[in-house]
Amino acid sequence: MNKKWNVTYIIRRQKASQEPRDESFTIEVDPDEYVLDGVERIWAFHDRSLTFRHACHHSTCGACAMRVNGVEKLTCITTIRSVTQDGGTLRVEPLRNFPVVSDLVVDMSSMYLRLEDAAFAQVAPLPATGLPYEGDPATEDPHFERLVDCIECGCCISACPIATTTSTYMGPAVLAGIEHAFKQSHDLSLLDMADREDGVWRCHSAFECSAVCPSNVDPGWRIMNLRRMVTGNRVRRFFGLRPQKGNTK
Amino acid sequence: MQNLYAPKSREGFGLWLYKIIAGVLIVLLLGLHFIINHMVAPQGLLSWSDVVAYYQNPIIPIIEVIFLIVVVSHALIGLRSIILDLNPSARLLRLLDGLFVVVGLASIVYGIWLVTVVVSFGKA
Amino acid sequence: MKNASAPQNFPRWFDPRRRQMGTWGFILNRITALGLTLYLFLHLLALSQLAQGASAYDNFIALVEHPLLKLGEMLVIAAGLIHGLNGIRIALNSFGIGTRYQRPLFLGLMALALVGIAIFGVKMFFFS
Repeated sequence: MNKKWNVTYIIRRQKASQEPRDESFTIEVDPDEYVLDGVERIWAFHDRSLTFRHACHHSTCGACAMRVNGVEKLTCITTIRSVTQDGGTLRVEPLRNFPVVSDLVVDMSSMYLRLEDAAFAQVAPLPATGLPYEGDPATEDPHFERLVDCIECGCCISACPIATTTSTYMGPAVLAGIEHAFKQSHDLSLLDMADREDGVWRCHSAFECSAVCPSNVDPGWRIMNLRRMVTGNRVRRFFGLRPQKGNTK
Repeated sequence: MQNLYAPKSREGFGLWLYKIIAGVLIVLLLGLHFIINHMVAPQGLLSWSDVVAYYQNPIIPIIEVIFLIVVVSHALIGLRSIILDLNPSARLLRLLDGLFVVVGLASIVYGIWLVTVVVSFGKA
Repeated sequence: MKNASAPQNFPRWFDPRRRQMGTWGFILNRITALGLTLYLFLHLLALSQLAQGASAYDNFIALVEHPLLKLGEMLVIAAGLIHGLNGIRIALNSFGIGTRYQRPLFLGLMALALVGIAIFGVKMFFFS
């Protein structure tokens, strides 16, 4: 058993149209517990009006993303030890660049709707999942399928400097989803969807999305790869050549 | 719900490619400019007569005007990209686009005029 | 500042706290872009002195020799080097080239910019 820590959670609270305010809760935790465990304990024993989203507790559902000490984290896999110390504080805020519904809950419907437009599938044949630069998948047999890496947690959009000021930008998760979907279906309308002012051309290469992604999607790489594919197909179209199928390199 | 994909800015492949090509040209021309300034004219063209003499080589005014056009367009398209990230209304953007075109063309016309004046000083 | 996307959040573009190296690239590119654009138009206006004849221009150049303006000139050179070299990284990445190595690429190019700035600084303040 670890020695227990006393940790002060500073939680950003906001209901309906109220002004946001910070509220502190000092609780006893095991340092190897996760940030989400502490939030749940605060809800269970200190304040039943605290709202937050969570479900699976093992980084599969993507519901519990929050900003922890100013960095987007999936709180169910972020140990308390990794973000504070005994007697220390820990700041928990809702994701940015989404409207707050209540406390730590934000409205991510814009991202979900755009992902739906992008024909983003949660399950895909094994060869088309993962990042191509990480090497060959375990099998080339398309009959094997698995859950794709993106868990739609919204961390990347919260960290993106462009999404900070403009709500019309599709955002890293959606562009990465289009890249992913295109490599499966080779549907050229997906490239057209990304090839627009609020699509791949709005990215300004800060690569914050890739830095915060808890699920190894590397949206920054995928946006650049998408640009490459869009550019390649435009050049081919210009010279009257047939469009290239999704290059997975 | 607002229309998530309302087009208005035409920011896209064309402007992006132009910005990159112009950027590469600027790097090359600026490199050339520094080489000329520090190798060919070691004093760095700091007096009026040096500048006028420098412009008598017919290739120089041509390079400088190309350089001017490329730099002004790269700067204004880039500035527009930054403003686009502030999500301007379609109306404001149309206004700004007009302003950019006017400022860009005025700068280029002014630059060409200045180059011809400087060249003509040498002929007199 | 608002939690949701909003134009008035733009100061956050320039806030590198808790962010990664890519944000430094983004911030440097944006600030140098704005600075260089301002300089471009000031420079064009200043060059109108050329049309006023020899004495006007040479008097103007003598004015520019002021140490404060030389510092300004140094800033322009620094901004140009940073923006140009960082731009090479962004252009390459945009074609899907070297995206995985954008971090070392950024560091390498910025080191190159620093060397360039140092060379110009030494030349300008000690050999002129």
